[in-house]
Amino acid sequence: MKDIIRFSLILTFVAIISAGSLSWINKITKSEILSQEQKNLTDALMEVLPGSNSQDIIPIQQEGQILYYIGYVNSMRARVNGYALIVESKGYTSTIRTLVGIDTSGTILRIKILFQEETPGLGSRCEEIRNGELIPWWQAQFQNMNINNLAVDKDGGLIQSITGATITSRAITDSIANKTKVFIETMNSAKTDKIDE
Amino acid sequence: MLNILTRGLYKSNPVFRLMLGLCPVLAVSSSVHNAIGMGTAVIFVLVSSNFIVSLIRKMIPRRIRIPIFIMIIATFVTIVDLLMAGFSPLLHKSLGLYIPLIVVNCIILGRVETFASKNKIIFSVADGLGMGFGFTLSLVLIASFREILGNGTWLGMQIFGSKFKPAILMILPPGAFLTIGLLMGLLHWIDHYRTVHKHVHSKAR
Repeated sequence: MKDIIRFSLILTFVAIISAGSLSWINKITKSEILSQEQKNLTDALMEVLPGSNSQDIIPIQQEGQILYYIGYVNSMRARVNGYALIVESKGYTSTIRTLVGIDTSGTILRIKILFQEETPGLGSRCEEIRNGELIPWWQAQFQNMNINNLAVDKDGGLIQSITGATITSRAITDSIANKTKVFIETMNSAKTDKIDE
Repeated sequence: MLNILTRGLYKSNPVFRLMLGLCPVLAVSSSVHNAIGMGTAVIFVLVSSNFIVSLIRKMIPRRIRIPIFIMIIATFVTIVDLLMAGFSPLLHKSLGLYIPLIVVNCIILGRVETFASKNKIIFSVADGLGMGFGFTLSLVLIASFREILGNGTWLGMQIFGSKFKPAILMILPPGAFLTIGLLMGLLHWIDHYRTVHKHVHSKAR
């Protein structure tokens, strides 16, 4: 009995010290982690909307959630350079989040994978940067692609799938194709609505 | 003292000799970059836990030592996780999956239990350093084989010309088993050769 009380006290003491030091570390890294994520997103937005500065890219929100981003050509905010939206797809081992930049006519400007935890060495090669290249070779294929004929090579499309990771390649490609098509359609119908008024 | 520092590198290398922590070895040895990152994290956790456990070794009741060890180790692992996420997001991106695995990495619990809980602080830190470096070294060695053969690169640098067709098998799980098995066999063969040689030598005398 005496032992139980003594042991519990010691364990509690160790737990309190651990929790205390962890909350301290959490406090000093929290803002760093947040600003890191923010910076990553800003960098990604500038990458997928070439020609727009970070202050010319405006998030469009609805009920506190960001639906998409509009990138303007300059600070006058008169001419739209393109849109950026985040697309989620169920990959082989993770949910992949991709930022897609498209111009007003439905051509992809750039894509950038924000998050993935696919199999190292296979699916994760969707972010592989080869020697001397600036952007990952797999994502570079999407540049200037029309969203209407977007598919991996095994499905008769032009996107070369990653060796040994067809599921990952297909998941990303198809989700981009579907989501951007819906997006462009809603944007177009919104425009015609305006004209009707 | 020097012996404690260096034995982790070869004589009682945690991976090839003690055969500890093979699970994370299989998982992260697909590229040299990941191997170095994981190794560094393990060195940090190992040295810190060895230090703390050795510091309070006389206050820990024997019967509840394991939960206390695990609590200490888990704390340091979480610290590494948070620090990495905050200050080295790139590394955290590729290692995020494996960091929590360090908690149950038997190298750390093993060294804490068999060494740090019975030895002075300075020796425990030396043991942590030696074992940590030994682990990192074996990890890098295995990862080098796998990355070069399986992807044609080393630390991301292209090694062969564009005509080289990499054997994807090597960066898949079977490649890890093959590499570890062959390297282990090689080490034992060298040992065997040495003892036989010594034997012959002493007999001749």
